[in-house]
Amino acid sequence: MKRIHYIFIALFLLIFSGNTYSQDLDALLNAETKPTIDYATATFKASRIINGHSIEQMKKRQLDFRISHRFGPLNDGAYGLFGLDQSKIHFSLEYGVTDWLMLGVGRGSLNKTYDSFAKFRLLRQSSGAKRMPVSLSYFTSVELNTLKFQDPTRTNYFSSRLAFVHQLLIARKFNDKFSFQLSPTFIHRNLVKTELDMNDVYAMGFGARYKLSKRLSLNAEYYYNYNPNNKFQDTKYYNSASVGVDIETGGHVFQIMLTNSLGMREGSFIPQTTDDWFDKGIHLGFNISRVFSFQKDR
Amino acid sequence: MKKIFLVLIVLGASFGAFSQGKFIAKNAYISFYSSTPMEDILGESNEAVTILDSSNGEIVFQALMSTFHFKRALMEEHFNENYMESTKFPKAKFKGTIEGFKKEMLTAPVANIKITGVLTVHGVDKTITVPGTIGMEGGKLVATSKFKVTPEDYGIAIPSLVRDKIGKEMEITVKSSYLPYGQ
Repeated sequence: MKRIHYIFIALFLLIFSGNTYSQDLDALLNAETKPTIDYATATFKASRIINGHSIEQMKKRQLDFRISHRFGPLNDGAYGLFGLDQSKIHFSLEYGVTDWLMLGVGRGSLNKTYDSFAKFRLLRQSSGAKRMPVSLSYFTSVELNTLKFQDPTRTNYFSSRLAFVHQLLIARKFNDKFSFQLSPTFIHRNLVKTELDMNDVYAMGFGARYKLSKRLSLNAEYYYNYNPNNKFQDTKYYNSASVGVDIETGGHVFQIMLTNSLGMREGSFIPQTTDDWFDKGIHLGFNISRVFSFQKDR
Repeated sequence: MKKIFLVLIVLGASFGAFSQGKFIAKNAYISFYSSTPMEDILGESNEAVTILDSSNGEIVFQALMSTFHFKRALMEEHFNENYMESTKFPKAKFKGTIEGFKKEMLTAPVANIKITGVLTVHGVDKTITVPGTIGMEGGKLVATSKFKVTPEDYGIAIPSLVRDKIGKEMEITVKSSYLPYGQ
């Protein structure tokens, strides 16, 4: 009786082992495939959400040539071709020195401003072998206003023309379609127009994108200014608010937007947006990004 | 006594059967290449895993999309985001059998073979027959294959806007060098 018992067990084990044997190469294959760290890529399509920087940056040896325009107010009507008769331009060259550092230089026609910036990638959102819920980058820039001094007779300092921007970019790609970003911002302006203007500006940026299709996404961006100081001012300052679409065509990204800001750099659109969405202050604009690769063949 | 004996036999049999006659390569090379007058696209992975069963000539490949790398960062992004949809379909897989398989093929010098099996890309299964080679080369068991696939067959749509830059067919190259499994 006992012997039968053992034979039964042995048979069972044999069948079982036979099973593991033919239990495809599939299980074996899956066991041998190393889990990878899956980084969230393309949280946004371009290095800007609309006006402000996104978490995206150029990878190593990739150069981004960007041209942006903001036109006059839409309510110029047909006489001014809905604002297209006037335009502000900003263009820049932005380069990925490494995968975690991007440097850029640019020139904007608003206040004839030169700017240079650095963007450092600190954390990358990932799943798989390593989990990280958000991506984090640090953005900093210096802006140089080169308008002629208002009063050339007094002593004017070069340092008066500089403004400094510091931003943390915290983004999460929630799923294939939806991404969200918070951008706490600090701006210091060495010299401001009047006593009433603040040298130090604190702001919080909110940015989001929703992909409508693989190559088309809807974006929105809002910068809340904590200390706009509108008391006694002739020109009122408004929070920058924009909506737009990103259209991607291979190496180009076209961003078309409606915004109340004419500036295309942090130092101008965050503290110096003087137009109101609700009072004839909507401007049409676009950014074009063209990426060139200098990566050598491996 | 008999009990222990039996258990040993069973264990031996099962263990032997499990690892016997299998060959593995954990760093197999897979590339795909498309060439047009506008642009050449080359994506390469050196981290594909493949197992060959010498008892029946069955051969499997698996590659994670995230292990494919490109010269241009944008190509890699578009590959994952727009074409392969890598978050939805993280793996490509092939499971097939070497036609007219004989064990001697694995010890003989490299010779031409044909493999028929199911290629799974972008979540779409398709039965294909591809040419290849297998045999000993420099003391190692190596296998190679080169064949063409059409992205549309795997539900990968290429918009007309970039149609000129992406070839109608992708040339897939596979190279693997096997070691006995469990070593």
